[in-house]
Amino acid sequence: MKSLRRDFSSNPQAANVSSKVFVRSTKSGKVQKIVRELYLRQDIPCSSKLCSICPATAPADANGNIAPFVLSDRPAGTASFPRGHYLVPDTNALLNGMDLFEQTGAFYDVIILQTVLEELKNQSLPLYNRLVALIKTDEKRFYLFFNEFRLETHVRRNPEESINDRNDRAVRTVARWYDEHLRAATRHTKREKMVPSIVVITDDKENIRKAKEENVTALSLQNYVAGLEDSDRLLDMINESREAKETKGARGELFYPEYYSMSKMMTGVRAGTLHQGIFNVSPYNYLEGSVNVPAFGKPLLILGRDNSNRAIAGDVVVIEVLPKDQWKSPSTKIVDEEAVTKNDNPDAEDNEEVVTERERKALQEEVKKAHGKNSEGRPQPTAKVVGIIKRNWRQYVGHVDSGSTGTQVNSGRRQQNVFVLPMDKRVPKIRVRTRQGAELVGQRILVTIDAWDRDSRYPTGHFVRSLGELETKGAETEALLLEYDVQYKPFPKAVLDCLPSEGHGWKVPASKDDIGWKGRRDLRDLLICSIDPPGCQDIDDALHARPLPNGNFEVGVHIADVSHFVKPNNPMDLEASVRGTTVYLVDKRIDMLPMLLGTDLCSLKPHVERYAFSVIWEVTPNAEIVSADFTKSVIFSREAFSYEQAQKRIDDPSQKDELTQSMRTLLHLSKVLRQKRMDAGALNLASPEVRIETDNDEVGDPLTDVKTKAMLATNSLVEEFMLLANITVASKIYSAFPQTAMLRRHATPPPQNFEELTNQLAKKRNLELDVSSSKALADSLDHCVDEANPFFNTLVRILATRCMTSAEYFCAGAHAESEFRHYGLASPIYTHFTSPIRRYADLLVHRQLASAIGYEGEDGRAVIEGVSTRNKLEDICRNINYRHRNAQFAGRASIEYYVGQALKARSEKMSVGGVDSGIEEQGYVMRVFENGVVVFVPRFGIEGVVRLEDFLLPGESVGGSVEERKTLAVRRETDFDSEEYTLRVWEKGQADPNRSVTVELFQKVQVNVSSVKEEGGRGAGKRKVRILIMGSEK
Amino acid sequence: MPLDTSTTYPLTRLRLDGRRWNELRLLQAQISTNPASSGSSYLAMGNTSIMCTVHGPAEGRRGEAGGGAGNAAGAVVEVDVNIAGFASVDRKRRGGGSDKQSSRIATTLKAAFQSHLHTYLYPHSTISIHVSVLSADGSLLAAAINACTLALVDAGIPMPGLLCGCTAGMSGSASTARDPKNDELDPLLDLSLPEEQELPSLTVGTTTAIPVGEDAMDDDEDETMKVSLLNMDAKVHYTYLETMLAVGIDGCTQIREILEGVIKGSNKIVVPRSDIL
Repeated sequence: MKSLRRDFSSNPQAANVSSKVFVRSTKSGKVQKIVRELYLRQDIPCSSKLCSICPATAPADANGNIAPFVLSDRPAGTASFPRGHYLVPDTNALLNGMDLFEQTGAFYDVIILQTVLEELKNQSLPLYNRLVALIKTDEKRFYLFFNEFRLETHVRRNPEESINDRNDRAVRTVARWYDEHLRAATRHTKREKMVPSIVVITDDKENIRKAKEENVTALSLQNYVAGLEDSDRLLDMINESREAKETKGARGELFYPEYYSMSKMMTGVRAGTLHQGIFNVSPYNYLEGSVNVPAFGKPLLILGRDNSNRAIAGDVVVIEVLPKDQWKSPSTKIVDEEAVTKNDNPDAEDNEEVVTERERKALQEEVKKAHGKNSEGRPQPTAKVVGIIKRNWRQYVGHVDSGSTGTQVNSGRRQQNVFVLPMDKRVPKIRVRTRQGAELVGQRILVTIDAWDRDSRYPTGHFVRSLGELETKGAETEALLLEYDVQYKPFPKAVLDCLPSEGHGWKVPASKDDIGWKGRRDLRDLLICSIDPPGCQDIDDALHARPLPNGNFEVGVHIADVSHFVKPNNPMDLEASVRGTTVYLVDKRIDMLPMLLGTDLCSLKPHVERYAFSVIWEVTPNAEIVSADFTKSVIFSREAFSYEQAQKRIDDPSQKDELTQSMRTLLHLSKVLRQKRMDAGALNLASPEVRIETDNDEVGDPLTDVKTKAMLATNSLVEEFMLLANITVASKIYSAFPQTAMLRRHATPPPQNFEELTNQLAKKRNLELDVSSSKALADSLDHCVDEANPFFNTLVRILATRCMTSAEYFCAGAHAESEFRHYGLASPIYTHFTSPIRRYADLLVHRQLASAIGYEGEDGRAVIEGVSTRNKLEDICRNINYRHRNAQFAGRASIEYYVGQALKARSEKMSVGGVDSGIEEQGYVMRVFENGVVVFVPRFGIEGVVRLEDFLLPGESVGGSVEERKTLAVRRETDFDSEEYTLRVWEKGQADPNRSVTVELFQKVQVNVSSVKEEGGRGAGKRKVRILIMGSEK
Repeated sequence: MPLDTSTTYPLTRLRLDGRRWNELRLLQAQISTNPASSGSSYLAMGNTSIMCTVHGPAEGRRGEAGGGAGNAAGAVVEVDVNIAGFASVDRKRRGGGSDKQSSRIATTLKAAFQSHLHTYLYPHSTISIHVSVLSADGSLLAAAINACTLALVDAGIPMPGLLCGCTAGMSGSASTARDPKNDELDPLLDLSLPEEQELPSLTVGTTTAIPVGEDAMDDDEDETMKVSLLNMDAKVHYTYLETMLAVGIDGCTQIREILEGVIKGSNKIVVPRSDIL
């Protein structure tokens, strides 16, 4: 019997085969031992343009191309490295300073080691992705060197050597090899004197010491950056957590309980004693969080900072339910972090308590209330956070709390701690160490959170960059986009390369034999027109109708054929799928697709031929659908109307041409369709929307730009046919792709969502809200009217809308067919098909529909793409749901900001003697808290908190600055009735009913709206809309 | 989390074990490892190692499917594949019968060798091949083909040429049409397990065609190749298929040279090929 031992001696190549053995544990807790082969080689290039050896051996890819060399032959240097340097960062340097490496001013010619990349991927996936993106860009000259595969730089782990030590050694080995290699490569040439230094960047002191012994240049990130120009700004960008830990050592008491170990949490979750969910924070009270867990129908409350234990809104947390005696009712108070923790000192940690005395008091009061007279406010189960599964920290936009910068503002380079107040109210303030405290005050800045340790009350983070002055248009717009994660960078070249080469000169091919006409129907003779908001450039849809000989009508909806221009999986398609949707801000549109397509080639502009995707129905005069047909087509739109123009043309009896007639037909049919939909139980929901027209110039009152949206019959004309098209297409693609069809659903909201609203209506108005079905809800909403208060109905609809879940995209295989229902539209199935220029979902649906009807496309590829895999689709759904939501938030925030600016502009114009008198409007009470109310002002579409000091008692005048009013707050006394939803406010000691103000839910109140800037103190420079309650009307 | 090929390959043109796109793993083989059988072999492609034994041609037992005395046309090839419980990362307990993976390999091998071998020389008999996978690290089917070929040569069963198997994949998901202007994906040869799990791949098995007529007299080394086995479980856009096949076939040629070296190097007397014909 021969031995089966692997015999390396006989094979000359075998000497270069090494193996890597490592142990990993899987999600389920299993430990696996992995053995991988490593083939060591000597043809991995150093990629330096100085090198004369490597180009000869550098291997080619399958097409014979050799990757160009990356590292410059004249790299930048610093004072200590006059000949320039190549940087070799270790993993920690990247973990702590990724923001630095992304800078454009410094950090060029960087060698990223395989060892480092792999370690980084293990430690932080987002940072890994950022680093990969950096390596891919050419201008930063980052080179990924696979050191583990190069014979000379491969390092075998010694016995007793820790993995970190081994990796550090690998980094040093590479540095030494590079140095020797470059010297050898340039010996006896002109370039001999040009060899740059190889600088290892590491934050490990031991590593630096060993490097010194081995004659390798090594610097800590701090020391390296200190030698650069602009070092103050750059130094601020180093991750704080590590450094702080080192300096602080074991000092300081621990404020927060320790987290459970991962295995303990997992066991608990599996056993059902612990629960996992996403941590949400109430927008009105930063100390009140809630977590929705699958085990219970209602979210569990997390009250106070102790219990939320360093969780930040959005984190995936594990929670434990508290004993029953600690159950509480949700807060009836508005608690604002800024107000409560006003005087915290960012430097002081010694006397710091997790829960300040004031906070504790605020909580106790609530408990008292909850346990007092609670008939309706029964204590609810509360829980505490015992561990974090996944942090969802991102970069936060905020501004430096000017009160925290300390007295020695001009202390130059001295590092100091400041607090950064994030724009997102649900995120606690972030402690940031900076050397530029003074300059940063009054700026919008971007920061990230690095850590939140047990011994620190607030999370620590570091400064990333400044967006500009507070309240400047550019800074605020960028802040908005960053805050809602909107991709606003210009399209990269790879994307623009996917555009048709003809540019704006692209035309529908004249000859029908052209490949572009393949599978297309010629609909150029139809009288097609489009109806859109005024000034619309990206026209997605156009319509036509004509009578048929049998008395029925042919109705067609024609949608821009975007899928013709955006081919699957090319860079443009990938970019669009990441962006997900076009974002509309008041003065800016962030496109999903490049302008050329969105506003020209795809846009169904009038008087030009365009490719379209058409849905054509035969309908009876009663709007019964006889048949539906789908086809790719070529259309010639006759006219592009705005809603008003279309309405005028329809209403004008002198217009008798065919186009007008067909529009009248459409209008008639749409009314029938709408009625049918309403009968089926579609909800007529309301959202507080205003529109802003920016074309007005500086003249007059800026507030005239703010308009509430008007609904014309032509709006609903277009809407009805779009709904019809979406529904028809949804059934078609579902029948073709039962597993992968891209659909949209709106889940039936659970009845408990409406509990509070039902209760409020019953109490205050004696109205009943029947939520058993969408039909019942629609009917009972119709009954919610108040003769004296016409807006009441809209208010109830707005509130009802907030009780519902939001609609979402999903792929058909993910839910049972009964779950497909769109609750709001009362349709059993729904999708988005009609706006492919601005929504990625529609583009996908176009591809699926094309595939479902057997359209082959120009090259026969369309068919294959329709049948995408479900996994991929689910990823896309997740992304576009997220983008869609964020786009809505960003749009709303933009309007809110604009209204604030308009108010400001007005106050500057109208103010007399520096005092702004504000503008009087009507508002409606949406929510009543113990120390304030939330008022909605329909004129501006804004809602705002009105605090005690902002109640004008009889006899008070509007005037008075913010600070003056603030002092009033302590003198106010209130009587809050949580069952009747009323709040009475009066001056201390003057409880006379004539001198007090009483407000109650749903009440119409007279308010004074103005824009104020806080001066002095903590919130300095922050502008907000202030609402004063002037008095109430019954 | 380890790195993945589709991200790092475009950056470095190196695969995760340090190979280039067109490099085989280290292939080592021995024949006549088990004297108790008619023919045997041990083959390792990287960390995939396989033992194979051949019994027969022997008289077919009565009652066996297709075998027995019934098949006068030629020998029946029977293949039995056993993947050891310790072959992969997670130790698996395998109860009795074979699992899906091993029975699929067995069926493929049976079909390939049934038509490949000169079975007509042995009517009413059975050739049984037993494949034991000792360690699985990708390209299992290809390695099994090669091991079987060696064991069959060792057993002295006549065949027209060596049947060699190899895998080929693409360095990305390759789910959409290839863009000839901007070809980012490279074909990869001889995939290891992590690559196989991440990327699309196919297994191709080739043999040299039987030289007939004029060619028979040619001692030309530039032999014509015949694909006798092709197996793909992944989804790939058809525009990539040709590239993958070409690379796979090229890999088979390299493997053939190695296997021939193994056969010639062993102390077993192998009948020179030209003498068979």
